[in-house]
Amino acid sequence: MCTKGIKPGERKSPPRKNDTTIRQTESFKVRQMPSFPTSVFAAGNAKRTTEMLKRKTALASLEQEDAAGDQPRRRGFKTDGLVAPDRPLSPTEWKKQLEEAPCSPERFDVHMMTLLFKTGAELDIAKSLLTFVALETGTMSYQLLLQYLTLCVKGGHDAEALDCYQIMRGAFPALETGASSLFIKAFSRTESWREALPILRDMKKVIAPSTRNYSDIISGALLHGAAAPAWQLYDEVLGEGLTPLPDTWRALFEGGARGGRAEEEGGISPAEYGERLLGVLGYMRDNQVYPERNLADAIKTWFHSLPGHHWRGEWTTVSPKGVCKGCGSELESIQLTPEEYTHLEARVMADIIQGKDVFQKTTAEELESFKAFVKRKPVFDVVVDGLNVANIVKGRQSEMLLAVVCELERQGLTSLVLGRKHMLRPSASWDRRNMGLIQKKAHCFFTENTSEDDPFLLYATLHSGNHCRFLSRDLMRDHKACLPDTLTRRLFFKWQRGHQLVIHGTVAQGRRVGFQMISPYDTIVQSTGVSWHVPYDDSVDRSSYEVPQSWLCLTNKP
Amino acid sequence: MCCALREESSQSMPLEMMGLFSRRVSVELWRLWSVSGTRHFSIGTFPTGQVCSSRSFSSGRYLRTDAFQPDQGDKIDLDLWKSVMRSQTAVDESIEEDKEQVKKGDSTDSPSGCVLAATRELVSMWRQAGKLVPDKITDEDVKTLAELTTKSSKKKYLKFLAIREGHKNKSKEKQEKKRAEREQRLAEFPETLENRPPVKNSFLMQYRDHWLDRLLGWRGAQAMNFGQPLVFDMSYEAHMTPQELTNSVSQMLEVESCNRRSLDPFHLHLCNLQPEGGYRQQLVKRYGEDAWDRLLITETPQRHVDVFPQEQLVYLTADSPNVLRTFDPSKVYVVGAMVDRSIQTGRSFATAKRLQMATARLPLDQFLRWEIGAKTLTLDQMIRILLTIKDTGSWEQALAFVPKRKHDGFYQEKKQSERGGTAGRDRGDRYPQRDQRERQGSAREPWGAGRGGQDRGVSGKGVGMAWEREYKQPVTRIRSSQNTTTEDRRRTDKTRTPWYQQD
Repeated sequence: MCTKGIKPGERKSPPRKNDTTIRQTESFKVRQMPSFPTSVFAAGNAKRTTEMLKRKTALASLEQEDAAGDQPRRRGFKTDGLVAPDRPLSPTEWKKQLEEAPCSPERFDVHMMTLLFKTGAELDIAKSLLTFVALETGTMSYQLLLQYLTLCVKGGHDAEALDCYQIMRGAFPALETGASSLFIKAFSRTESWREALPILRDMKKVIAPSTRNYSDIISGALLHGAAAPAWQLYDEVLGEGLTPLPDTWRALFEGGARGGRAEEEGGISPAEYGERLLGVLGYMRDNQVYPERNLADAIKTWFHSLPGHHWRGEWTTVSPKGVCKGCGSELESIQLTPEEYTHLEARVMADIIQGKDVFQKTTAEELESFKAFVKRKPVFDVVVDGLNVANIVKGRQSEMLLAVVCELERQGLTSLVLGRKHMLRPSASWDRRNMGLIQKKAHCFFTENTSEDDPFLLYATLHSGNHCRFLSRDLMRDHKACLPDTLTRRLFFKWQRGHQLVIHGTVAQGRRVGFQMISPYDTIVQSTGVSWHVPYDDSVDRSSYEVPQSWLCLTNKP
Repeated sequence: MCCALREESSQSMPLEMMGLFSRRVSVELWRLWSVSGTRHFSIGTFPTGQVCSSRSFSSGRYLRTDAFQPDQGDKIDLDLWKSVMRSQTAVDESIEEDKEQVKKGDSTDSPSGCVLAATRELVSMWRQAGKLVPDKITDEDVKTLAELTTKSSKKKYLKFLAIREGHKNKSKEKQEKKRAEREQRLAEFPETLENRPPVKNSFLMQYRDHWLDRLLGWRGAQAMNFGQPLVFDMSYEAHMTPQELTNSVSQMLEVESCNRRSLDPFHLHLCNLQPEGGYRQQLVKRYGEDAWDRLLITETPQRHVDVFPQEQLVYLTADSPNVLRTFDPSKVYVVGAMVDRSIQTGRSFATAKRLQMATARLPLDQFLRWEIGAKTLTLDQMIRILLTIKDTGSWEQALAFVPKRKHDGFYQEKKQSERGGTAGRDRGDRYPQRDQRERQGSAREPWGAGRGGQDRGVSGKGVGMAWEREYKQPVTRIRSSQNTTTEDRRRTDKTRTPWYQQD
């Protein structure tokens, strides 16, 4: 099946090279360009590419903008036509406003409060509105108070918010989630942060509180020196299976740096606190969390504040070879351990290729024949995603593919080209002679036109062993998503970063093909006991499938 | 904190006094006072730096007109609303205690009851907070709501309930209005024998609904005996969300009614319909037990491949590489009865592959300038297309049922004879080289021996004669359409025979 469509003569003499040369796999090096920052996995790459493409189509977008500019502003806002006063009004003045307002008199108060919130008006104006409403109707709606509360919390008027709490508790049978969250925020900023705990408990009865709620209380507790309850809540967040917010971590590290009254509270000794913070770093490592700059700052400050040690932090980068430019030590390798590798191989077969229905991506017979094909052939050094590589240049696909295959052959690598059967039918894009040459120079497997070729690519690469790499521009995100658990997904991503070759730049006719360099080190929080290396985000442009390029290097020098 | 507040407010005595009155009284007092037109604000600045005003009911030093002059720098008591609200709580407390007792009564039964009560309370508070929430909520809905895990899912469900409630209320209102109008009319002109509106005299015989039903019933029975079978594959229940399942059941209802009303109905087969499955339950619920039993369709828990011979079946799926060029009356077409809002590419195609069935897709690319959206169609669009192509043999007429928003008209300029060969390459066919190969009459069959039957399935000709088919195709199409038109005429003639003779 795999060699169907190849003339019998060709099939008999497959493109064999000397076995002795192929077996030098351990020392082989794909010629790579020393241009690591443009790796597809480097932070900001996707954004840059998008912007470049946008610039290319700048004319079209300009036209669109003009069209958008001509459109009238979206109408129908409830606060349209209302004017927020610039000073507190008396009830009579409010009454006049009410009569002139374009909205219905019943909703005037709520709309006006929304407008005050939107325009960031002073609290006194809102208060005067409330007074007017109270005098007019003798009561006020929950919604109005809720909006007033939002205004208070946004403006940082915590005392007023606490007042509001008393009133709302008294006037209404319960609080809904929005008000609860606001109260938690307000309470956490004051001395009486403990009041927030029962509110959180009440919330838990109906819904799972958000990480933001937890984060507010934890920072409140730490601000007032109560470390033990803060850590208890932190454990609760992890127990719920939630990912803590960066703000929570920052509060924890800042709390650690402050030291403070931890002991008197009967809670946590500084040593234990330190242990726990190291646990946080471990969590970041396990879950591939990259802190932002301000969190990295907090981490650095905490290390500096450790008594009895001489930690020194430095903002730095890492050389393409994987050596930290700050301390000169080598970073962890990106290669998987044998156990991890076996686990990943099994999961990819089970979840990506077979999945729930093997017919979704291929057919049972085809999969079997491919397995037999891989078993029959020698171990590959590079597996090429034929269609992906060829389609870089539209119109002369087979030429492109041939150039890549030639380059790989020149480097003495055993390669496998995966494609679909329609590539074998001669046409303008798939030249018969080129395809023949490709089949001479590399092993080829052509799947059904209705099958996906990426899963086969992954399988062949993983099956050939740890040294084997694959060539594709595809970031395999859809296949990564098929993996069921986060651990396997992280393993897959790590393996992918260490094994994916991408063609560098454009390929001109007659020129050699270059590949982007594969990073030899893993971008992850790591420690050697006397040093810590923390990769952090220094821009907001990073996509989830990219890794940051900037590092915080912490060394303990006595 | 509380302490400080009390201190502060105790300095404005009249307000404290107002707090002692009930809400209504205090408001009335305030109204009386403000209407009297005399106002007096005395301002006191306290050591805390907070501006606080106290107000007395007597008009003292200043006498003012009703017109308020803002430039006088008057201060308004900004915290007045607090005392008003506080006074209110004292009144409400007694009521609330009763409520709480009631609540305790039903919440102590079981922990689940507690959760339900809390959920109900949450709903009522969300309503007060101005969120889109239904006014009334049944216990069943509360239970569903409590089972939802995230806040956003709860909000979405409540929004759905609220919108549904709105629709219900609106139709109810309409009915009430109609009823009121009728009653009013009856009251004005009581319906007696004398003033009943006269029976309309017409040379046409009145045609009653049940006569039509009977006629359609006959057609259905005829289709069940002699009609072309059309299979709906109901095996995708596991791949749909409850909402999607409901949608697909609605579409199936439409499919059945469309088929029933057509000139020459298909014999509908619902295959893979599990007796205990959600699909059948919902269908029976929507039709009613009796109507479901009377329906002139075939339902079976068996697979389509067990009911019909393999070589007759053609699975219609958007992911198929083969284009359905001519509709073959001797084939049994299978449509997957699935609604997939998040498009599950290759789901039904995988089924066909597994069962080694022939597959085909509609010639959408060949006839329509496709613009947006996936090339998936709803079930009712599918049956309309299939019924039309069966009756008329013209894809132009049949594909008129593809939603207009998805395409920009038909390829008018191409003549029919041109369409066959080059259609694919010109119009972005997914497997463009196919037609070319077929024209060359290549003996190789690189499309896989496993599914060799697929081409045969589509057009009813052998694979080896592919080239022949390509050239003969326009002819066959014309002929078949002629056939169908003559058949149509015959059929319509038959249907035009008076209803009373048919019975």
